[in-house]
Amino acid sequence: MLGYLVGEALRDLRRAGRVGVSAILLIALSLLVLGGFGLLSLNLGRAIAQWRERVRVVAYLRQEPAGPAEVDALLRKVEALGGVQGLRYVSRQEALDRLKQTLGAQAEVADQLPRNPLPASVEVTPDAAAATPEGAQELALRLGSLPEVEEVQGGAPGAEGLARVQRLFTWIGLGVGAVLALAATLTVTTATTLVLHLRRDEMEIMRLCGATEAVIRLPRVVQGLCQGLLAAIVALAALEVLYAVVAPRIEPLLPVTLGIGRAVFLSIPEMLGLMAAGAALGALGGVLATRHSHP
Amino acid sequence: MIRLQGVSKVFGDGPGRVAALSDISFEVAKGEFVVLTGGSGAGKTTLLRMLYREQLPTEGDVEVAGFDVVNLSRAEVPRLRRALGIVFQDAKLLAGHTVFENVAFVLRVIGTPRREITPRAFQALKAVGLSSRAQAYPHQLSQGEAQRASLARAIAKSPVLLLADEPTGSLDEDMAAEILDVVKDIWTRGTTVLFATHQTRLVAELRRRTLRIQGGRLLKDEPATPAGGRPPGRG
Repeated sequence: MLGYLVGEALRDLRRAGRVGVSAILLIALSLLVLGGFGLLSLNLGRAIAQWRERVRVVAYLRQEPAGPAEVDALLRKVEALGGVQGLRYVSRQEALDRLKQTLGAQAEVADQLPRNPLPASVEVTPDAAAATPEGAQELALRLGSLPEVEEVQGGAPGAEGLARVQRLFTWIGLGVGAVLALAATLTVTTATTLVLHLRRDEMEIMRLCGATEAVIRLPRVVQGLCQGLLAAIVALAALEVLYAVVAPRIEPLLPVTLGIGRAVFLSIPEMLGLMAAGAALGALGGVLATRHSHP
Repeated sequence: MIRLQGVSKVFGDGPGRVAALSDISFEVAKGEFVVLTGGSGAGKTTLLRMLYREQLPTEGDVEVAGFDVVNLSRAEVPRLRRALGIVFQDAKLLAGHTVFENVAFVLRVIGTPRREITPRAFQALKAVGLSSRAQAYPHQLSQGEAQRASLARAIAKSPVLLLADEPTGSLDEDMAAEILDVVKDIWTRGTTVLFATHQTRLVAELRRRTLRIQGGRLLKDEPATPAGGRPPGRG
């Protein structure tokens, strides 16, 4: 019976002709949009995760501690504030060395300063719970309450901006994808209705001879499902081609813009998800067409 | 096999209300050959459509092959129809399918095991004398052959009851006689037959039990005349 259902569905797909092909292309387009925005969102998500890992809160000190014992005591005090994963004391000299390193060829500018203007600081890496904008802000407030601390800087404002862009992309992708999916479903419904019209005599005979509604309707649902699956394969192939063309061109820019080494493609579960979405869209079109087909 | 009790069918309401059948009651026993006759619009087709649950009565009870047709759930309708063979004035053969494929199609869609389909389809074609035309397409058949193919399709699933709705209505006398012979042959093999026709000459020739309806009412229930009685070996 399964062979009959699939055989009938494929035969109907051929009979649907250009309308059937249109349905496949529309589903493929909607899945391409969904998959494309999904791919953008996926890579932005990776960048955000990496940016969040780099969250640092820096507490600049009023005075440089007098010796190692005072540094240890200060670090223990900071650790006791909670939400701290790592600590590093940066002396005034180390801060100046870093500045010179950053200046590179212009490092001699720093040598011409009458005195080292940079304060000593404690660099704090928040733990997982505090590595959010709110968590980092609370940690900064606690650090600022210490008498040794003059100013606190840090957080991950870039990551939050990126997260907003990611959410925007996700919503645009879902919105455009939903509109296209609706159009695709209606096209599948039209293609299936056309087949139902072409096969009305056959269906009448089937009903009169005692075929069950499942046997009469399922080939139409399977037809929609096959259209959706074919469309998903087309969409994934188009996405793969786009990725192969675009990724090598933008990858050199990724480390300096998003802070990630390379753009990744959809994982196998994500590709399977896209295929399932295509199959579901197609099957829905088939169900809608057969729902009112009973005379 | 068939039992109708106080069956009425009304179409529409208000001024456009039409009573297609009024208080029809009769029974058909297993193995009988019954002719249902009446003029055009008498209610024959409406009555037959009720038997295979294409229509429901407005009032009354309908029992067919052990099924309480009125209270049958939608899911059970296919079970009722598998017990029936139905033929119409129009043979309703699928264009683009050979005669054999038309018969095999029905067996396939009701879930007949694959290995049984071909022998059963050929057996049915043989029973109606159409084995040699198995590979012909509907447009290559005469009207009589098309109707025989339709009968083969109806009997391929071994129905207990054959409902024939004017199967000879559009045929000339020779072809009608040919179809009638096939139907009689099906009956002698044990299938109960309810044969609807408006052709009075055919009714006279058949000499079977005859139900005459007119204006939706059962006028007469005439018994079979001796020469048209039950087939040999029946009780």
